[in-house]
Amino acid sequence: MRDRTAQRRAWADNVNGNQAAGARLTYVRSHPFGTETVERWQLGNGLSILILIDSSAPIASYHTWFNVGSRHEKPPKTGLAHLFEHLMFNETEHLGAGAFDRKLEENGAESNAATWVDWTYYHESLPAERVKLAIKLEADRMAHLVLREPQVASEKDVVANERRYRVDDDVEGSASELLYKLAFTRHPYGRPTIGWMDDIRGLTPEDCGAFYRTYYAPNNATIVVVGDVRERSLLLAIRDAYGSIPKQAHVPEDIEWDGPQCAERDASVRKPTATEKLLIAYKGPALGDADHVALTVLSEVLSGGRASRLYRLLVIENELASDVRSWVSTFRDPGLFEFTATARSGRTTVEMQAVLDKALDGISSDVIDDEELARAKARLELGQWQQLDTIPGKAEQIGFFETVLGDPGHAFQRVEAIRRLTASDIRLAARRYLVRSARTIVRVLPEPTALAQGTE
Amino acid sequence: MSSPIRSARQVPSVRFALDGGMLALLDPVHSVPLVSFVIALRSGSDSDPVDKAGLARIAMRMLRRGCEGMTAEQIDFRIDALGAEVAVDAGTSSVAIHAQVIARNLDGLVDLLAKMLGTPTFVDSELERLKRETVAEIEDARDSDRVVAQKALHRTLFAGHAYGRNPGGTTESVRAIGIDDVLAFYHSFVVTSNIVIGVAGDVVAERIPELASRLVAGLASGRAAVDPVAEPSMRPGRRLLVVDKPERTQTQILVATLGTSPHDDDHVPLYVANGVFGGTFTSRLMREVRSKRGWSYGASARASIDRHRQAWVLWTFPAASDAAPCLKLVIELMEAWVAHGVTAREVAFIKRYLIRSHAFEIDTAQKRLQQSLDVELLGLPPDYYTGWLGRVGAVDAEAASLAVSRRIRPENLLCVAVATASNMVEPLRSAISGLEDTQIVAFDAE
Repeated sequence: MRDRTAQRRAWADNVNGNQAAGARLTYVRSHPFGTETVERWQLGNGLSILILIDSSAPIASYHTWFNVGSRHEKPPKTGLAHLFEHLMFNETEHLGAGAFDRKLEENGAESNAATWVDWTYYHESLPAERVKLAIKLEADRMAHLVLREPQVASEKDVVANERRYRVDDDVEGSASELLYKLAFTRHPYGRPTIGWMDDIRGLTPEDCGAFYRTYYAPNNATIVVVGDVRERSLLLAIRDAYGSIPKQAHVPEDIEWDGPQCAERDASVRKPTATEKLLIAYKGPALGDADHVALTVLSEVLSGGRASRLYRLLVIENELASDVRSWVSTFRDPGLFEFTATARSGRTTVEMQAVLDKALDGISSDVIDDEELARAKARLELGQWQQLDTIPGKAEQIGFFETVLGDPGHAFQRVEAIRRLTASDIRLAARRYLVRSARTIVRVLPEPTALAQGTE
Repeated sequence: MSSPIRSARQVPSVRFALDGGMLALLDPVHSVPLVSFVIALRSGSDSDPVDKAGLARIAMRMLRRGCEGMTAEQIDFRIDALGAEVAVDAGTSSVAIHAQVIARNLDGLVDLLAKMLGTPTFVDSELERLKRETVAEIEDARDSDRVVAQKALHRTLFAGHAYGRNPGGTTESVRAIGIDDVLAFYHSFVVTSNIVIGVAGDVVAERIPELASRLVAGLASGRAAVDPVAEPSMRPGRRLLVVDKPERTQTQILVATLGTSPHDDDHVPLYVANGVFGGTFTSRLMREVRSKRGWSYGASARASIDRHRQAWVLWTFPAASDAAPCLKLVIELMEAWVAHGVTAREVAFIKRYLIRSHAFEIDTAQKRLQQSLDVELLGLPPDYYTGWLGRVGAVDAEAASLAVSRRIRPENLLCVAVATASNMVEPLRSAISGLEDTQIVAFDAE
């Protein structure tokens, strides 16, 4: 390993030669990633580069993770990070409208992007020998995007339609939005990443330009490349494409925090649906907190599959629900530990909540036996391998954990932490987080008109 | 583009002809310690009695609800303990058990699946419980406007045909299924001659005959099912079906007609032409609907394949206020596509995309296995996938345009819109020239 490190550093010294400061390559270190290795490099302008060579298929995944998400927005500018993600597929100083996608498509690439509370990322998967096209296109739009009124106006309409699709006309989407709004009154996690509809309408090219200049800088981004590539030629191509992009001044985060929640919050909404839905959210730990692993295993014990406690109680034995799920939010800051249950026709949220409350009370006092714990751990191990089964999946895991926790190999550390976890760890975490006075409840009730619909 | 068009090499699955007329297929890969199984029947919901749609899916799900020496609960516990997942996927032409397990527990899962397949107890109370679960799932699916639209489309476009019956059934048809129906299905269809086994992942070829034999050790040999499906047809003319749902701010729109059969001599040219029209992010549909007008987050067109001619379906979902002009536009775009075909430049572009992106059709063992299974289960030509690239490469603009004009009939259209009928029916009607018929149904109609 030391030899390879020395070789990489010597190679970097050799190729840096007369390069400008921003374009000088530095080899930082390697990170274990299961039985594989992620190599960390950095350009002089602050751009981080993570490379994992994987020759299992003749493809490469090229990810660009920006350390910006809806957490960086302030009302009335919600939705700006997500709108901006859309705008990144538009015109640049060198490419006309639509040319970005056309170039990728004609080279057989798959491309998309995603925005959430803590991050925004762009990804291309290409035939491996064409990875340099992604480098060229991504570097171009990091520095030379064109933001004019017609493009912004048109994309705002598209985003408004996306909001209708995912939230306004979607029962679960609208209920989840309300849950987070109630649970976080000050922290930006309480505001939807897609933005409030009125805010989306009000965003301007000037807002977008300021956002671009602030956050779309090499020192705020990480390139992740996984695939059948050659490390050195890849690095030289990245250096040549990005080396001239200047770094930007770091903007400190200005996050408002909620105080402790001391009383249960709840709301009911009526929707055109035939069955009631119950959403309960306790305050949860940050992804990097040791309790996050414990609650992740607890979530699996409670609702991971047909053998889980809540599934058996709500769906199989009492037939109150058609489905029950839980999730510990994977956010940089403390998030939520959510439970969602859908009632069977004629059954109610009140009935479901009584069963759920009793089961959750039991977690804080009862013992989770060895077999139950082993089942939950086995399911989580299966899920972890499923996420790493593809080259794009590996790139996503590396980019996500690097951006949220600063550790590209953290997926495997979680696997080890899960293996070590005991029932006692889970019980203690449950006592810390399953606190009723700090929870938020949303009930979705059918509108009378929805129930009155007849079958033709 | 002067560089030659290169693509990933297609390696066929390893085939094993086993006793009892059974076939096993393997796509090995050892990058992660997972093994996937597909235990597929050469028949699906096409074998369901007309008044008992959903039987194939219910019968296969019953295999998990008790077997010799194990209750449903014990099976659930065992699956989780192995670090495994087991699910049933039902389609018109095949119903299959899909399973995946951490490789070190491969033998444990094979033993469990063998017991489930060979010694099911088919307890009546478990069937009744499963039926109630299934009815609840059907009711929940009505929350998704997209699912509501798709179900309405297929039952209307293929009314009276097997393709019009949902593989999951309706609340009424599921309730009508009895334990005798499940037993009859099991004895007729869950037999080795009617099974194809697929394996992908971290396993060596030498183990496949033994693993496959263990899996089906308890099954009779039986006979392979005969395809009962007639060639589908559709009602001539243009029709509008409005699926009425309150408070819709957005309209899910599907526009459909009959599409392609994998046995058509112009199947690949049509596929290429469809790519130009609505198969990519820069297709004609996306450019006109999303990029130019911002009317919808997405707009696409797809020609599904099955043993017989399936539907060609255009999908978009504009705001309710834009729904009528958007529907008018996409029909006009479709008419222009049929009338004028595609250009040589468009075809050259889409061929580059299809050939170069082919690597992503075969980049995992599971995808490669599914292609081999499709060939067997859908009766596709043996070289449907292995010869795909060559056939795409041979398509020119003339062949692609001719295929569209031969197969896609814009005069015979079914337009489905999930919308609030009280304020949307008239605008939508006005968007469709030559409209012959309008129907309005409730969103919970089956």
